[in-house]
Amino acid sequence: MELENFTVLTEKCHKGKPASCTWACPFNLDVRALVEKAEKGKWQAAYKAYRTAVMFPAIVSALCSEKCKEHCQRAQTGDGAIDVRRIEEACVANAKNRKPDAYALPPKNEKIAIIGAGIAGLSCALSLAQKKYEVTVFEKESGWGGALRGHESFESFDEDIALQFSAVEARFEFGAELGTPSELRIPNGSGTPSELHSPSEHRSLSLPQGFDAIYIATGENGEDFGLLETFDENLLTTAHPGVFLGGALTGANAMQGIVQGIKASKIIEAYVQTGKPLEEFTEKEASPRYLQHKDAEHATPIVPASGDRYTEEEAKAEAARCFKCDCNECMEACEMLGTFRKTPEKIAIEAYTDLKATPPYSTHTLTRQAYSCNMCGRCKAVCPEGIDIGEILRMSREARLESGAYPEAMHDFWLREMDISTGEASFYTAPNSKADCRYVFFPGCKLGASNPAHVLLSYDFLLEKYDAGIFAHCCGAPAYWAGDKERAERNTAVIIETWKALGEPIFVFACAACMNAFEALQPEISRISLYELMAADGIDASETGAGWTDASGTGADETGASGTGADGTDESRISSGRTGAEPAEGEYNVFAPCNSRGNDEMETAVRRLAARAGARVVELPEKNLCCGSGGHMRAANPGLYDKITGKRAAMGDLPYIAYCANCKEVFGARGKECTHILDIVFNLPQSRVPAIHEKRENAIYVKRELMKKIQGADYAPDQREWESIEIIASEDLLAEIDRKLISLDDVKEAIWLAETTGDKLVDEESGACRCSMEKPVITYWVSYKVAGGAYELIDAYYHRMKFSREGV
Amino acid sequence: MWKCNACNEPLVVMKTQFSYMDRSFTHEVERCPKCGKVNIPLELAEGRMAEVEEQLEDK
Repeated sequence: MELENFTVLTEKCHKGKPASCTWACPFNLDVRALVEKAEKGKWQAAYKAYRTAVMFPAIVSALCSEKCKEHCQRAQTGDGAIDVRRIEEACVANAKNRKPDAYALPPKNEKIAIIGAGIAGLSCALSLAQKKYEVTVFEKESGWGGALRGHESFESFDEDIALQFSAVEARFEFGAELGTPSELRIPNGSGTPSELHSPSEHRSLSLPQGFDAIYIATGENGEDFGLLETFDENLLTTAHPGVFLGGALTGANAMQGIVQGIKASKIIEAYVQTGKPLEEFTEKEASPRYLQHKDAEHATPIVPASGDRYTEEEAKAEAARCFKCDCNECMEACEMLGTFRKTPEKIAIEAYTDLKATPPYSTHTLTRQAYSCNMCGRCKAVCPEGIDIGEILRMSREARLESGAYPEAMHDFWLREMDISTGEASFYTAPNSKADCRYVFFPGCKLGASNPAHVLLSYDFLLEKYDAGIFAHCCGAPAYWAGDKERAERNTAVIIETWKALGEPIFVFACAACMNAFEALQPEISRISLYELMAADGIDASETGAGWTDASGTGADETGASGTGADGTDESRISSGRTGAEPAEGEYNVFAPCNSRGNDEMETAVRRLAARAGARVVELPEKNLCCGSGGHMRAANPGLYDKITGKRAAMGDLPYIAYCANCKEVFGARGKECTHILDIVFNLPQSRVPAIHEKRENAIYVKRELMKKIQGADYAPDQREWESIEIIASEDLLAEIDRKLISLDDVKEAIWLAETTGDKLVDEESGACRCSMEKPVITYWVSYKVAGGAYELIDAYYHRMKFSREGV
Repeated sequence: MWKCNACNEPLVVMKTQFSYMDRSFTHEVERCPKCGKVNIPLELAEGRMAEVEEQLEDK
């Protein structure tokens, strides 16, 4: 799918589209809007809307055939359909002012003849008269109403007709017998009557002259002037240009006749304005739209307490039963969509127009929203039609990047992280000096970066049980989410090449996000979750974890700072489960990540592993919500990021079990107690969230340890000159710069540059120094003081715009 | 009072050219009168500059 086909992307969307009752209504009445007004007792407004749709409210509310009931979605809950007709009656009865509006339009010159003052002819006449056409109604009887004249309620119908015509000018010719010469044989220019020759019967019939169009609605078995045979029931045309048919003459009942009269007015107007008949007339969509109301509460239909009509209160109560069927599923389910309040249709249109906008002279309207999406797939999951708004927004990001007019800063942080995981932290090998393998562990960038033990102990298990290889690399999600197609394709090429080099093994994933990214970017590679293999094999923490602490040469870390490098040493990066950490007994909420939606095998396996370790799992009210990190929207919309992560952290009172490294990191940063399923499996102590620079160190540590164990190699990344700089800063300040997504690495590099070149500012009074470092996308600033051989950090910040040193 | 370390000159407020999202504009900030080194304090970077960046990203 391309953005160019934007209308296709959301054409099935229900939002703002007619409800099924409206679809069923011959008048296309906006029942939803009418009932909303009625529920609030806004009878005048409800009446006006009703009058506009049906022309003759008293007649229609009495005679309506109630097609809406057959399509009322209230029936889904087993309750009776909404009694819209009685609510309509209440609108008529309770409106304080039923006088029709007089439209301030200029009079039109075109003259229209209506033959037949039955309800079909009257509705056409009224519609055209409202538009200020000069309308003359010819009727052989002595008054209007046609077949309704014999109805028991004709007195009120008569009153309604008189009321509705009271605000327009229309001429009525009653007692006019068609075919008699006196009134209707209006001479044409040559002085002879106009004769209409029926093509079938070859008889001459007389029609009124001097009119630009004629609508014939003479009732059941009425005079058709020989035109019925050539009648087009969609366009209401006949063989005679400018002469149209409708009403019971063409088989319509009273309600259909009114609808047809309104339709005829539109067709006639188009004819007299253009001089030619319409070629097509589209009335409504092919099928009604239904929503899911399965969770709705029951509501018993309201029955009038006395008589056949609702009291005002009864009508309001019945109106309150209506679902007002308008789909809000995605807007209610997604904080982002709920914040921006744009309909899916509008989003698709804006994604397209943004694509066509040419900077700097055009205005993009979707930028903030496009880059605020978590890409979690929830919109698609809740949509009755499966519309994927996230994919539209991702395509918008792609289109913006291709056009060159895109905010690079919104994804720079994660693309720089990707540089690390595809560069100095990337590594692959088959096990035990083999050339290939059946399984390869793909831990992804986050797992080892947040806790090396998760990768190393899991790999132990996979090596032992499945003779698996390892491939430490990035799945491509950061590039995919950034809309950087070229970069994602380059990454895919590396992954495919490695996959082939290893003999096309099955990839084993610990993060659902990687698994999903593979499905999108490298679908040809077979995938399975680590947890499935662990659950199937009955892993026992006591049997695993051997070797790693020995490999670091120090034994277990007693501090429990596993995986974080808390003291900056390799020894503190890993501790095995045999160090006496508390077992996982107790109650937990499982936070199922957005990326495991539909991955039943992974979800089941995680719960089995938790149960096996003694954890009692209590499910959260909802599953598969994004923790907030998805789509890398944090830099684009930090406020929304805080809102989403805060809501997710508050979903459950118990400590969470996460099985996505991103979720673990998000909740850890918010202070929500959260343990990774691998902590439970391996009986590891709680670990804190590593700082940005520590994640890089952890990722490199994982690579070094793996290379040492599997290949006996000694990996030493290039030493960067600023790494040895000592920074003095409070925990709060370090946390603050991390929150700003500034790595201590960048802080050190900036200081090192300033100190080695002398390119800095100094404040002699306070002794403070300030320097800047311009990276391709972000410019970093650091304020600090020289403290002996170390540097005391004052603050660090950044901006996205560039400045020039020229012009001095 | 900030001074340029390399030039040993006190900074003075000068017009400076900024650019972002294919647009250029000028703003007065403290600079070294000799080498042009710019001083952007935290309040400016996280205040007005961030606001302008957001406005330009949204266009």
